Amino acid sequence: MLGQIKLVFFFLLLSGAAGGLWYVQHLKAENEILTLNNEKLNGAVEQQQQLIEQQLRDIEAKTDINKILTENNAKLTADLNLANEKFNKVNASGERRDVGNLALSKPKSIERIERKREQQRARCFEIAQGSPLTEEELNATKKSQINAECTNIANPNYIPY
Amino acid sequence: MKDTVIEVLKSHFGADKDINESSHLMDDLGGDEFDIVDIIVQVEEKLDISIPEEETFDLMTVSQLLEVVGRHAGSD
Repeated sequence: MLGQIKLVFFFLLLSGAAGGLWYVQHLKAENEILTLNNEKLNGAVEQQQQLIEQQLRDIEAKTDINKILTENNAKLTADLNLANEKFNKVNASGERRDVGNLALSKPKSIERIERKREQQRARCFEIAQGSPLTEEELNATKKSQINAECTNIANPNYIPY
Repeated sequence: MKDTVIEVLKSHFGADKDINESSHLMDDLGGDEFDIVDIIVQVEEKLDISIPEEETFDLMTVSQLLEVVGRHAGSD
C-alpha cells in the first residue's frame, strides 16, 4: 500500500516537473517571440521618428521656399506696377506717351525694344525661380545697364534716380 | 538744329534739366528706350525731316542724337 502511494506521488511529482518544464519552455518561446516583436516595434518607431524628422525638414524647406517665392512675388508685382507706370509715362510737358503711335511711326525701333524687354522678362522668371544673379546684373548701377522689367530682383545695387 | 533738339529734350525731360552734348539720355536724363524713340519722332516733326530707324537703334547720348539729326537736317 505504501509502495503504491509512493508510486502515485512519484508520478504526480514527475508529471508536475514535466508540466513545469513545458511551461518554462513555452514561456521562453513566447518571450523570444515577444523580444523579436519588440525589436521590430523599436525599428518601426525609429523609422517613424526618422520619417517625422524628414517631414519636419521638408516642411521647413517648403516654408523657406514659400517665403522666398512670396518675397519675389511682391517684388514682381511692384515691378509690374512700375512697368505699367513706365509704359504710360507722362513727360515733363504733361503729354502722355502713346507707345501705339510710336509703333506706327517707328515699328522697327519699337519691335527691337520689345524684343529686348521680352528677353529681360524671361530673365526675370529665371531669377524668380532661383537663378543666381550675374556679375553684370549685380554691378548695374546705371539706368542703361539694368533689367527694366524687374529691376528690384535683377539689379539690387541700382538706386533709381 | 541744335536748339530745336535741346528744346525737344527740355520739353520732354524738364526745363530744369542740365542738358549738354555729353548728357546720356538714360543715365543722365532718366529716359528709357521708348523716350528715345519719342524724342526722335518729335525732332523729326519739328525739323520736318525723316531719319531711317536703323541709324537710331544704338543712340544713347545727346551728341549722338545731334550727329544723326545733323546728317539729315542738312540734306532734307
